Amino acid sequence: MGICVKPVTTLLWAIPFLFGMSAAVVERGVDTETGLRSWEWREAGVSLQLVQRLPDQTRAFFQARGFSGAAAERIANACIFQTIFRNESEQPLSYRLDDWRILHRGASGKLMTRERWDAVWQEGEASQAARIALRWSLLPTSQRFEPGDYNWGMTGFGLPSGSTFDLEMVLRLGGEKLTRTIDGIVCPPDREVN
Amino acid sequence: MRGYLLAAVLLLSSLSSAAQQAGTGLTRLAEAPLAPDFSLLDVDGNVYRLSDYRGRVVIVNFWATWCPPCREEMPSMQRAWEQLRQEGILMIGINVGEDEDTIFQFTADYPVDFPLLMDSDSSVTRKWPVRGLPTTFVVDPTGRIVYQAIGSREWDDPALLAPVRALR
Repeated sequence: MGICVKPVTTLLWAIPFLFGMSAAVVERGVDTETGLRSWEWREAGVSLQLVQRLPDQTRAFFQARGFSGAAAERIANACIFQTIFRNESEQPLSYRLDDWRILHRGASGKLMTRERWDAVWQEGEASQAARIALRWSLLPTSQRFEPGDYNWGMTGFGLPSGSTFDLEMVLRLGGEKLTRTIDGIVCPPDREVN
Repeated sequence: MRGYLLAAVLLLSSLSSAAQQAGTGLTRLAEAPLAPDFSLLDVDGNVYRLSDYRGRVVIVNFWATWCPPCREEMPSMQRAWEQLRQEGILMIGINVGEDEDTIFQFTADYPVDFPLLMDSDSSVTRKWPVRGLPTTFVVDPTGRIVYQAIGSREWDDPALLAPVRALR
């Protein structure tokens, strides 16, 4: 099945040439078949792509893995994105999600990491198998990518459907600290799968 | 039910659109930590203990059926296995947190015949330096982890396998 992602906006940031490589680019896209929106940041051979996941998708995924309806609903409505982190630079890349910030309506918040989700569940609300599935389906809370490595994982921003927020990311690339912001990210809409 | 099926199709579509290409290369682990031993069952009930394979090179892949890049690399792992098994190199897939029925159904779509072991409570996975799926390690004949790959790879690429073969 050929899927076309149509880039609708490209921003070239006024960031100097770092590490002798390209300046930062944020490309926004809309999947012409599903209508899902995406944001991809690229700089110096490193990229991070966020793709909306409809609450219906997430609800079905976690119910199939043993979460109760209420628990799956809670995850589904936590502004979930599929996330792809890729290191095609020639240096190691590392991050800690606890260093990242969600900027929304003048307030600053943190991502829903594996550890924060673990603290959410009440006794009997989620089986061990369900928690294992959630843990491993989320983007790792911290990671070090060597050149050529990449990861997929879900990220949760804990905001209502349709919310718009900026994401401030902190990365280390070859020992250099980078702080970058992707602005205008929109939480997936709570619509049914057509 | 119809909604769930559509959701699954939509999920796969959106993920396919996000997928680009496999990662590249293997990272040499300078400290070469001792590989944590394990004793796990495969889907047929056979026991596999890593320490039983001391003296051989072992590729250990951590994966799950729902993980798109894990699925993506399975066919190339099978192609690599068809070569490596004749060279005395073992390949093992350790499934994280799923049951034998789920894995059995998966192998109908992704036929592989290297051992798929079940780490149902993820206790083995937590002892290895795994943070995300898939992650693959190469264990040398002395039982040390000497290479690592985070994310999928084209495992039948001769350039990727050259350093693995050199460990024999």
